Amino acid sequence: MMHLLSFVLCLAAFAALALATERQQHDLFGRPLSPAATRLLRVAGTGVMLLALGVLLDWQGWGLGLVMFSGHTSLAAGVVFCAAIGLASARRRGKPAAISPASRRV
Amino acid sequence: MKTDNVKREREQRPAGRGIRQSMSGLHIWAGLLMGWILYAMFLTGTVSYFKDELSQWMRPELAHQAELPDPALVAQRVADELGAIAPGSPQWSMRLPDGRTNSVYAFWRTAGAEGGRRAFGEAAFDPATGGKVTARETLGGDFFYRFHFQFHYMPVLWGRWIAGAAAMFMLVAIVSGVITHKKIFIDFFTFRGGKGQRSWLDAHNALSVFGLPFHAMITYTGLVTLMALYMPWGERTAITTPAERQQLSAELNAFIQPGKPSGQAAPLASVADMVRQAQERWGQDAVGRVTATNSGDSTARVAVARGEAGRVSMSPQYMLFDGPTGRLLETREGVGAAAETRGVLYALHLGRFSDTVTRWLYFLVSLMGTAMVGTGLVMWTVKRRQKLADPEQPHIGFRIVERLNIASIAGLSVAMTAFLWGNRLLPAGLAERGAWEIHLFFAVWALTLAHAVLRPARTAWIEQLWAAAALLALLPVLNAVTTDRPLWHSVTEADWVFAGMDLMCLSLAALHAVLALRTARHRPKPRTVPAKGRGGVIGGALEEGRS
Repeated sequence: MMHLLSFVLCLAAFAALALATERQQHDLFGRPLSPAATRLLRVAGTGVMLLALGVLLDWQGWGLGLVMFSGHTSLAAGVVFCAAIGLASARRRGKPAAISPASRRV
Repeated sequence: MKTDNVKREREQRPAGRGIRQSMSGLHIWAGLLMGWILYAMFLTGTVSYFKDELSQWMRPELAHQAELPDPALVAQRVADELGAIAPGSPQWSMRLPDGRTNSVYAFWRTAGAEGGRRAFGEAAFDPATGGKVTARETLGGDFFYRFHFQFHYMPVLWGRWIAGAAAMFMLVAIVSGVITHKKIFIDFFTFRGGKGQRSWLDAHNALSVFGLPFHAMITYTGLVTLMALYMPWGERTAITTPAERQQLSAELNAFIQPGKPSGQAAPLASVADMVRQAQERWGQDAVGRVTATNSGDSTARVAVARGEAGRVSMSPQYMLFDGPTGRLLETREGVGAAAETRGVLYALHLGRFSDTVTRWLYFLVSLMGTAMVGTGLVMWTVKRRQKLADPEQPHIGFRIVERLNIASIAGLSVAMTAFLWGNRLLPAGLAERGAWEIHLFFAVWALTLAHAVLRPARTAWIEQLWAAAALLALLPVLNAVTTDRPLWHSVTEADWVFAGMDLMCLSLAALHAVLALRTARHRPKPRTVPAKGRGGVIGGALEEGRS
């Protein structure tokens, strides 16, 4: 159960951090968010990730806690990454006109 | 608009180009030269996180163990049996069953085999009866585990030196890769699909960066596990007398060493009582191993060692008993700072302290590491294919890399699955059956190399990926036909080792099928912008998977 809690926190944290990057904002919203919103996402993401670390350290202590945190963050980052790819391609499919020949160039 | 600005901004930043370029070269060539060995080490190491479960699956005769037997009783039964089959053994040691094993693995030194040569015996014992188990002869999951750091068909030490060299290359590749990767944070979540080399690079970066703490840790700690072999000089200088050697051994493991036997016979006191004392100290299921020296002699000693579950350290903790009287002589629960550092790093590599979830995390992130090496290898050809003067007739170096990639990535999947097929299909009475399972693995692997050389590269990729998918998908069927433990049976019995293995094979089959389909569907796109001065490739910029 603590595993699940920590993993969900890591997922939320990486989702916020991903939304704070310019490329994801462009891919998902078509425009950048305001600098204040971006900063807020970044701070929230970092804070939630530290919270996940706190949960694990409180539960398992430093040794096992850090090992589990490393596993949770790696996997959560991977899941958010795949979700971002999925969302972006779904959005592109929904708006075929959005693909200009120029944006397909290598 | 905005991305164009970003792009321009990036292109205008030449700072640090020199070092990045030289690091990039180092990364590419360090990664390539040992890449095929590293891929095999990564994949076999990854599955080794489930080596005990694999071993259970490969010995289907041993029933699913729904409940953990009383460790004290099991220890007594197996100790009695060892006393009978290896009387006067200078040393024997058994690993008690836990949630992941359903048999007791024990090894012993044979009495009277002195003169520099030590003779060993080993066997698996039935926890319920104490007798040797009668299962098909197989090395089980230990084959992948041992292959992971010492390979096969060569002296063990050579294998370990090769593994060490590969790990050093990996370490170089990791450090140079991090330096080469300019924008770890900006491009953390970047993936540009359908863009050939760029997509491969983005995937490679994601696999590397997300698992970076693990990849760096696993490579470094891998070297630590064998550091006494790679750097023996300090130890050789500092440790010279037998007494010092004994002291060193006690800092590193719980295998107590035999002293000189007195020759006076004295039966061993109750091993069950000793295990119970250890259980009182560390917990019901916390006893890992029982080792005895000179059992049956008046100088006998028994060490009951704490298991690895739940503590991130391989440093030994054990209670030492006098054999004939069963009196507690000593309790060791700590080692020096240097030994403890080694113990922690060693434990991090093996991950044996893990609960089930953490074990899966180890497995999945390690699989990301395997994919990191795989994408890196493939990228070498993707990048160069576009620059080939004549894509239909690539130069010899390119062809070697391309064919080795096919056999070492897709071919390894086929060979590893074939090993499991061999476990189910080779006749039980075959002499050296366990060795033949391994010969089969290497024979199939060699065949995939031959296939990769003989077929066009793209076709070879597709055919081998399909072969792996088919073998994996049909393995649960084969298991259902050849054993009485099919998937529906293991699910209703809550036998998660067998059910998990079947489900894992099906998911891996799906993964290979997706890769095969994507390779087959991939149509190399002609270049949208003709490159000047590259007449040979205009309209034919070929990408991976096309020969």
